[in-house]
Amino acid sequence: MSVPAPPPPPAGAAVANTPGGGDPTAGAAGAGSPDAGRALPSPFLAVLDYTLRACLPAKRWWGVLVPCLGAVLFGYLGTLADVSTERAFAAVAEEGLFGLVVPLTCLVIGDAVLGADIRAGTFPLTWLSPVSFRTIVIGRWLGGWLVALVTLVPALALATAVAGVPEGIGPIVLAGAAGSAAYIALFVMLGVLARRAAVWSLAVVFLGERLLGGVLSGIAQLSPMWEAQQVYAGLAEDHGGTRLLRDGTPHGWSAVIRLVLIMVVSLAVATRRLRRLRPTGGDD
Amino acid sequence: MAVTDRVAPGSDTPPRTTSTGPAVATTAVVAGTAGPAGAPALDPAFVPDPTVEVRGASVWFGQKVALTDVTCSFGPGVTGLLGPNGAGKTTLMRAMCGLLKLNEGRVTVVGADPHSDRAVQAAVTLVPEDEAVPPALTARRLVRYTAALHRVTDRSLPDRCLATVGLVDVADRKVGGFSKGMRQRAKIAAALVTNPRVLVLDEPLNGADPVQRVALIELFQALGRQGRTVVVSSHVLNEVERLATRQIVLVRGRLAAAGTHRAIRDALADRPRSVLVRTPAARALARSLVALDTVRGVTVDGPTVVVSSERAGELAAQLPVVARDVGARLHEVRPLDDSLESTFRELLR
Repeated sequence: MSVPAPPPPPAGAAVANTPGGGDPTAGAAGAGSPDAGRALPSPFLAVLDYTLRACLPAKRWWGVLVPCLGAVLFGYLGTLADVSTERAFAAVAEEGLFGLVVPLTCLVIGDAVLGADIRAGTFPLTWLSPVSFRTIVIGRWLGGWLVALVTLVPALALATAVAGVPEGIGPIVLAGAAGSAAYIALFVMLGVLARRAAVWSLAVVFLGERLLGGVLSGIAQLSPMWEAQQVYAGLAEDHGGTRLLRDGTPHGWSAVIRLVLIMVVSLAVATRRLRRLRPTGGDD
Repeated sequence: MAVTDRVAPGSDTPPRTTSTGPAVATTAVVAGTAGPAGAPALDPAFVPDPTVEVRGASVWFGQKVALTDVTCSFGPGVTGLLGPNGAGKTTLMRAMCGLLKLNEGRVTVVGADPHSDRAVQAAVTLVPEDEAVPPALTARRLVRYTAALHRVTDRSLPDRCLATVGLVDVADRKVGGFSKGMRQRAKIAAALVTNPRVLVLDEPLNGADPVQRVALIELFQALGRQGRTVVVSSHVLNEVERLATRQIVLVRGRLAAAGTHRAIRDALADRPRSVLVRTPAARALARSLVALDTVRGVTVDGPTVVVSSERAGELAAQLPVVARDVGARLHEVRPLDDSLESTFRELLR
């Protein structure tokens, strides 16, 4: 469809209630701002920038940073147990890091990058543009994953160091990065699918992954929580990881591939669902 | 109620009024664009060169019906979308922008479906009524974000648009701290930066002070003069009159009237109206009033007379004369059903 370009906004019809506001062509009016006159980014970078700036307000940052602080405390808790360091850290990693910190942090981030935007009624700003849905979904997911990479993953690494298992830092960084990528994609998808996405996300984590995934390996194979844990278990076998290995569930690099698949499928579903979305205003 | 006749699929010519059915008569009453002598008049719900066409649009949310079989079109210039709260204005505007899929009927913008064709979003921009703007963004970042999404290459355009709405001095303040009027203007700047061919504004003057109101009205009119299709909704009749010469009136999800504001004003002036008169000589006044041909009925209750008239304008001129003739001192005269909603409702009768 070709749309003939109309002329630019009128030059003579300014809402001149502020000094300098009368001349719409006066580009120097905003020259003091670092953003004024800067080249405009591509749509993908604009979506990414928007995700980082607008989707994580101050309250959300607390929701991200508190679990990260909790991760470090879990690491310290591992040093207090009266068992070997590796064994203590394996227990802490299973219940605390992969069972609580990773899903909760990713839930806060994943819900913020799309679900909360839809609920707040601010999503039409993005939806009402010629940008493809794929660009929107991937831009939002990438923004969320970047936040996880600079908050959650260092916290996991620090927890491992504090627990006295420095050899496990590499595997846990990989497990955290792959697990958060899959988790955030999953929560982005839930944000598009469900109106009460945060509630559904909690239900998926605690009922689906923890309860059902704990007894059914078929569900564990589709669970970012279990698969992230199996990444660490497979790659840190000599450092307590063997205690976390689970029969019938891929581990090590196979688990990484599984997490990538979960991520790709979740993003594909989110993109497809976005086409049918009827974004409403915040008041609706 | 079919307010207008249907447009044949693929037809390039705008539909014309038919001579049957009460609904057609409703629009004919307010027709402001008479056709050439001897030819049928152009239906005022349609424009000759439409950019937005709405055909048989119906929307419902569960049991609640928001739009019922609305058929009209919009073209270059400013069109006012008028109606009381809950009339379906916002629903129609959202459908025009693709934010909402119709349950029945069709909306096309520059010939394509705005809900399924993403390319249409380059041509149409909505300024929503609700205050849903990302509070963490500054006004400048909001406008630059919208510009980037629309692949605007002119890096100075965001600041020029902010200047156009008078926000350039507060462009680095977060939108969350703005007043309602300022947020509205920030959204308008974000809409302008997309250089839209079709600009849909839902109650854009809400929260604006009188000076800004005048300036915004001038801005919308200037955009209309440039050949853009500007659709502005409001429930304030006077506001829309100043903004747009052509108006579409929605009531309870139905197209109630369309045409020039003068035609709609005339239609409203002729509607039946009840007037309450309080006077000590109620019975004497009622006797004289009932004899007038402008009066449809009179009821007396103590010192109160309620007069029903189909020609309220004439009654207003006759009432003081009759009161003087019978020596009745008028303590109170006021219309009983002058709310905007009841006024619009009359257009559906």
